[in-house]
Formats: sequence, structure tokens, C-alpha cells
Amino acid sequence: MTVADYFLPRSLPEALELLREHGPSLLVMAGGTVTMPLINEGISLPRQVMGLRFAGLDGLEPVDGGLRIGATVTLTGLLRQRHVPMLAQAARRTASWSIRNMGTVGGNLFTPPPGGDVAVALLALDAQVEVRSRDASRTLPLSEFQTGFMTTALEPGELVTGIGVPAVAGETAYLKFGRKEANTPSVVTVAVRVRREEDRVVDARVALGAVGPHALRASRAEAILVGSSLDPGAIDEAAEAAAAECDPFDDGVASAWYRRAMVRLFVRRALEGLAQPVAVEGR
Amino acid sequence: MASRIVSFELCGREVEVLVKPMTTLQFVLRNQLGYTGTKEGCRQGGCGSCTVLVDGEPMMSCLLPVEDVAGRRVTTIEGITPVEGLAPIQQAFVDTNAFQCGYCTPGMVMLTTALLDHNPAPSREEAVEALGGNVCRCTGYAPIIDAIEAASASATGDATRDAGVMPDRSGER
Ligand SMILES: Cc1cc2nc3c(=O)[nH]c(=O)nc-3n(C[C@H](O)[C@H](O)[C@H](O)COP(=O)(O)OP(=O)(O)OC[C@H]3O[C@@H](n4cnc5c(N)ncnc54)[C@H](O)[C@@H]3O)c2cc1C
Ligand code: FES
Ligand code: FES
Repeated sequence: MTVADYFLPRSLPEALELLREHGPSLLVMAGGTVTMPLINEGISLPRQVMGLRFAGLDGLEPVDGGLRIGATVTLTGLLRQRHVPMLAQAARRTASWSIRNMGTVGGNLFTPPPGGDVAVALLALDAQVEVRSRDASRTLPLSEFQTGFMTTALEPGELVTGIGVPAVAGETAYLKFGRKEANTPSVVTVAVRVRREEDRVVDARVALGAVGPHALRASRAEAILVGSSLDPGAIDEAAEAAAAECDPFDDGVASAWYRRAMVRLFVRRALEGLAQPVAVEGR
Repeated sequence: MASRIVSFELCGREVEVLVKPMTTLQFVLRNQLGYTGTKEGCRQGGCGSCTVLVDGEPMMSCLLPVEDVAGRRVTTIEGITPVEGLAPIQQAFVDTNAFQCGYCTPGMVMLTTALLDHNPAPSREEAVEALGGNVCRCTGYAPIIDAIEAASASATGDATRDAGVMPDRSGER
């Protein structure tokens, strides 16, 4: 173990001050479920680490019909809340009980694919990421926060302090497909949200995980859905478009070819579940 | 290299350890305190053999810097084992043949302890879901789920459940 200093700030100002003082070489860690395996393996050899577990960022409260989630709310905390059911579903399909007791919602935004299953649901809900440095604060959409494989819009000196989820407009469905039922890396994760007026779709989100460098919106599929009545033709076309526009990769879990095929299937299933409001299985 | 003293409650008593920064709870338990019941499998959070309870909630001790449990309550397999005999959950594991090599067992027993604490009568599906992060390479899991049902039945006094989950296997093999 080569770590020289491990800081555990007791407040956000203290955390931001430490970050300013030590600069980008200070490794930030929340639940440690991504970071600690890398340190244990010797892949990551940080000299200085700051743990956020006691920095007071773990509040979760309903706001204007939506939800404000502190960055270090655990995945278990997200699973237990009842305000936004799709987020509880996403948490339930992420990792295992003990890992959910440690891993955080904020950390999930940084988790490289095939991880990041909660971020996919947050993307479909138009989540906003709250960022603070010692001297400034800003809020940006999750779609702009995740910029590439393991890269984000976070600047040196900044921390994610929370995630804002607006009141859920429309109906949602969340499907994660893996090689086994539980505690399994995703082949593809799909989160959809559709708002209808009369029978016409007026707004649609199709968010995909594990088929790109970070959680992605299938914007061509969304455009096909808007104006449709979620009829089988529109669903097929949207599923086809999502499969075409995602950017899957090969790994030990699945090939890019298979991932693309599963995007087509699971986007279709998620939309069909919303079209005929027979309960769509929340797996 | 800076070292520091961390104190926490371990199985009902206060302990103090002198550690280098970010030493894992797993390492401290096994190598500094001699609590070797907590196992070391993957050190990646992926196997559950290191499961301990922190303030009653299951966590992977291989991913926890010991500084993070300062002042908190840690329970390991040693803490739930009575001085004489076995705890009911442990007895249930024996009765249902829920282990072979035994490497996963302390983690399984700690997870079961937390599960029954949250949900005294879990369904088989709930038990399976709770165990999703704990790997067993020997048993095929079914006897472990049987053990959870048996332990639940003995704690809640449900004799019908009990009869259902302790099949007479004496005629097998
Ligand atoms: C066995 C196992 C199974 C898993 N299964 C899944 C799964 O099914 N699906 C899934 O999505 N994930 C899975 N994960 C990954 C992980 O548990 C989750 O992504 C979790 O949400 C990560 O959060 P964390 O707080 O533990 O991250 P950490 O390890 O603490 O941090 C990860 C990264 O995020 C940065 N970071 C964290 N919080 C902040 C903040 N507030 N401000 C700035 N930077 C920050 C850190 O600098 C670090 O680089 C699994 C992990 C394990 C070990
Ligand atoms: S040793 Fe901790 S989960 Fe495997
Ligand atoms: S009994 Fe051998 S791993 Fe479970």
C-alpha cells in the first residue's frame, strides 16, 4: 500500500478546500466500489486519497415533485426511496446488496461501461448534475456531464455534490439484460420515458447503457417515437434506429454484434411494455 | 509513511489498531487482529467471502479502508458465534449441508444474519436475491437457501416451513 495520506473530510467546505490545496493528484473516492478494486490490484497507485463518506453529501429529498439526490447517497438508499420508481428499479439491478450498501449514486456517473446502470435511468429522466468547487457552483445536464470513456466535464477542483431529477413526466420502463439474473455486468441497459397526449407521443427519451463510451441517448429513435401512437410500426422503427445509432464494444461479456442485436430487442420490449400497459417486468 | 490509530467496535468490544493509510478492514481483521473467520477471496468486491456487518449492514471488508469504520460497529462471524455451540443460523447451515469446503460460509452466514434481521421470513426468491453477491463454488446454492429457510423457521417458530426445508437426505448417495 503506497497511499501516503487518506483524508476523510467531515463537511463539503473541508472537502473542497482539500481538493484546492492538493490539486488533481488527490484521488476522490466515494463508496470505493470502483476505486478500491483497482488499488487492491495495484492498477491504481494513488499517493493521496480523499474519501467522501462523511462529507455530508448523503441527503435525499423530494423537490417540486422530483428528487434531489446527494452525491454519496448509496445505491441502497436509492433502492429504498419511493418517489421515483424507475430509480429504485435501476438500483435493484445494480451490483449486489453489500456493494449497494457501499457504492454511491454519484460514483455511478463515473463508472465506465458496462457499469453505470443507474446513470442510464438518470439520463432518461433528464437528470442535472450539481458540481461545486471552492469558489463556484454550476449545474449541467447529465448528457453533457459524461463526455467520453472515463471522461467527464468535471474540472480540477470540482466535486459532484448532488443530482437533481425533475418530476417524472410520462411513463417509464427500465430493462437491464445481463448473462445472469443478479450481480452481473450489463449486455445492454435500456431506460425509456414516453409522455403522451391523447394517444400521441409528445416527448420521448431512449437511454442506453453498455453500448457506448457512457450512457447514451438514442436521439433518432426518440425522434421516430415523437408524433407516433407507439404503434408496432413506430416501435420497430425506433428499435432499429437505436440499434443502428448506438456504439457497442466487444468485451468478455458480449460481442459488439450481440450487444447491438440486444439493443434492438430490449428497446422494442421496453416500448411494447409502455404501449400495452400490461406491467413490463422491471428487470 | 504516516500511520494512524483507528478505533472501532469489533464484535462488542472496543479495538484500536495502528495502520498505514487505507489499510482495508479485511487486512486488519485477518492480519492484525487474528479474526481470520472473514475470508479473502477476490479483493474485488466480487465474491462476498469477506462480508462483515457494519452497523448491522452487510459490506465487503476488502473494499473498506479501516478509517471508514472508525467509531462504527463491526460484526464478523466470530461475533455471532456463541462461546459454546453454534448460533441457530450456523446450526441451520450444518443441518442442511450448506457447505463443503466452507470458504464462502462465513460470508454467507453474515449475509443471512443481516437478511433475517431485515426480513425474518424471506421467501426463497428474496433469499436468492439477497445472496446475489456471495459466490459458492461447491454447493450449488440450493442447500444454502434451505439453510436460510430453516434458520428463519427456527427463529419464527414455523414448524411447517421447518419440515419443508429439511428433507431427509439419509437415503441419498
Ligand atoms: C462486484 C461489483 C459489481 C458491480 N456491479 C455493478 C452493476 O451491476 N452496475 C453498475 O452500474 N455498477 C456496478 N458496479 C460498480 C459500482 O459499484 C457502482 O458503479 C457504484 O455506483 C460506484 O460508486 P462508488 O461510490 O463506489 O464509486 P468510487 O469507487 O467511490 O468512485 C468511482 C469514481 O468516481 C469518482 N467520484 C465518485 N464520487 C464523486 C464525487 N461526488 N465527485 C467527484 N468524483 C467522484 C471517483 O473519483 C472515482 O474515480 C459493481 C462493482 C462491484 C465491485
Ligand atoms: S474478498 Fe471481498 S468480495 Fe471477494
Ligand atoms: S462451500 Fe466451498 S465455496 Fe461454498
